Amino acid sequence: MKTSTGQDSGRQDTASVKPVGRPFWLLTPGLLWLMAFMILPVLFMVAVSFWNSGYYGTRPDFTFKSYIRIFQSPLYVGQLIKTLRIGLEATALSLLISYPIAFIISQAKGGAKALLILMLFLPFWASYVVRAFVWLPILGRNGAINSALMAVGVIDQPLDWLLYNEGSVLLGLVYVYTLFMALPIYMSLEKIDPKLIEAATDLGARPFRVFWEVLLPLSMPGVASGCIMVFLLTMSAYVTPQLLGGPQGIMIGNIIASQFLSSNDWAFGSALSVILIIVVMLLFLGIGRKTKVEQIFTGGG
Amino acid sequence: MSGSGTLSVSMWQRLQRINPFEFASWIYGLVFFVFLYSPLVMITVLSFNDSRLTGFPLKGFTTKWYEAVFASQPLLSALANSIYVGLASAAIATTLALLMALAFRHDFWGKRIVLYLILMPIILPGIIGGIVLLIFFGYLGIRPSLFTTVLVGHVNWVLPFAFLTLYPRLHKFDRSLEEAAMDLGARTSQVFWEIVFPIVRPSVIATAIFAFSLSFDEFIRTIFTVGSDRTIPVQFYVLIVEELSPELPAMAVIIILLTTVVSLLGFAYMRRADRSNSA
Repeated sequence: MKTSTGQDSGRQDTASVKPVGRPFWLLTPGLLWLMAFMILPVLFMVAVSFWNSGYYGTRPDFTFKSYIRIFQSPLYVGQLIKTLRIGLEATALSLLISYPIAFIISQAKGGAKALLILMLFLPFWASYVVRAFVWLPILGRNGAINSALMAVGVIDQPLDWLLYNEGSVLLGLVYVYTLFMALPIYMSLEKIDPKLIEAATDLGARPFRVFWEVLLPLSMPGVASGCIMVFLLTMSAYVTPQLLGGPQGIMIGNIIASQFLSSNDWAFGSALSVILIIVVMLLFLGIGRKTKVEQIFTGGG
Repeated sequence: MSGSGTLSVSMWQRLQRINPFEFASWIYGLVFFVFLYSPLVMITVLSFNDSRLTGFPLKGFTTKWYEAVFASQPLLSALANSIYVGLASAAIATTLALLMALAFRHDFWGKRIVLYLILMPIILPGIIGGIVLLIFFGYLGIRPSLFTTVLVGHVNWVLPFAFLTLYPRLHKFDRSLEEAAMDLGARTSQVFWEIVFPIVRPSVIATAIFAFSLSFDEFIRTIFTVGSDRTIPVQFYVLIVEELSPELPAMAVIIILLTTVVSLLGFAYMRRADRSNSA
């Protein structure tokens, strides 16, 4: 916060008049909302994770039963590790494909730049359920890839392994979430003073060295926020693995959801959720020391 | 003679200017955007395919799936539900965010903690954002429905984004008028309604449009809190998992068009607001 107030030139700093309104009253409605509908429900879920689920529903109790069940069974720990792995893979792939496009857009000028930004945004404005769904008629038995390959004569039976595995989930996740990587990287590249690149070039640095020693370090805040955003989103992915994953491609989000939507084991589902929150919070605390949290959502600015 | 001479010279210069790096950029950009857009183009083509099976081969042109979508009562009521919840959550979230963004122009104790609190709904995994409300309202005995649980979930989700959009725009506007009014002894409500609000109004409207489109697209928090009501994304999802219904591609195209129009509107408004603010 300090830096943003500092940027606002001398006028604000010397102003004797405070902005309109009292902070206490301005904050009260929003904070009451967040307390009642965000903090309280989360704390309540933490409490429920120590309750006891039986045939008659979930009853108040204080037991570590659910947590013990999670860590005793290789299934749940395995699913958690698998979700972390898919999250990392999706983050790395998104970074790999998004950095070049962010760089290309940052180098474009005037109208071309505005058009490229718009083209980058447009597909992400459609609901992500729709964007995950579109891969079904591409990868499915009678999908675009199979019918194209059959028409050319490469195969005579549709390939079944295109869909319902980890690979199709990964592809779907990258497709659905890549904007969250490309956008912050683009924003941090945009902020780099072109004079720095000129200076490096004038001093005889080759393009690769300019990239490695000037552009990449200066765009790291954007890379960091992009990676956090994509990793965070993939960690709680539900729709993409549900639609494209099949039994092999299932992730922790699907297992948590099924505790509430089908098996009605709220205590166990809450315990799994608490563990997912802890994993995510640890990630934030780890990164939060280096970057400010709000920068993650405003593109590393 | 001279004309063709200058032409070939300029072409030569052009060819010289195209360096391999620029060429590679063009190719990469092309491949990237083909990856981004070809699934959407394909779903549009399939939406006109005269076949009950979503996929290939193409069997002929028809608009009957679009007719089916517009004739379907559940879909139309889901659309109405999405619009109502979108409007209500945009109004609530934008108001709360505006008040908090105004507070953030002051220095106060615990600002950083309050900021984390505001951002918490985005940091918290989406699936958990839905589940906590399912449990909480479940034990409170409030039946899950559109204007109870779903609305609360959407406001939670939209609030941090509305705050992050409004805060920088409230922070940089020219305060001289506001200061003058306060110096001259105007009441707080007068300063707000007659000076501050007219200045930030374009940003507020843009934020509300943006908030509406986030709510309209919301799925993961909604699916846990929606009960037997339906919003557009939930209805779409249910049609995929329950019957892989043949009008899905047409419905997908309609959803894409609707959200694109709303978002473009917000985008255009935001650009206008930023321009008038910085001018």
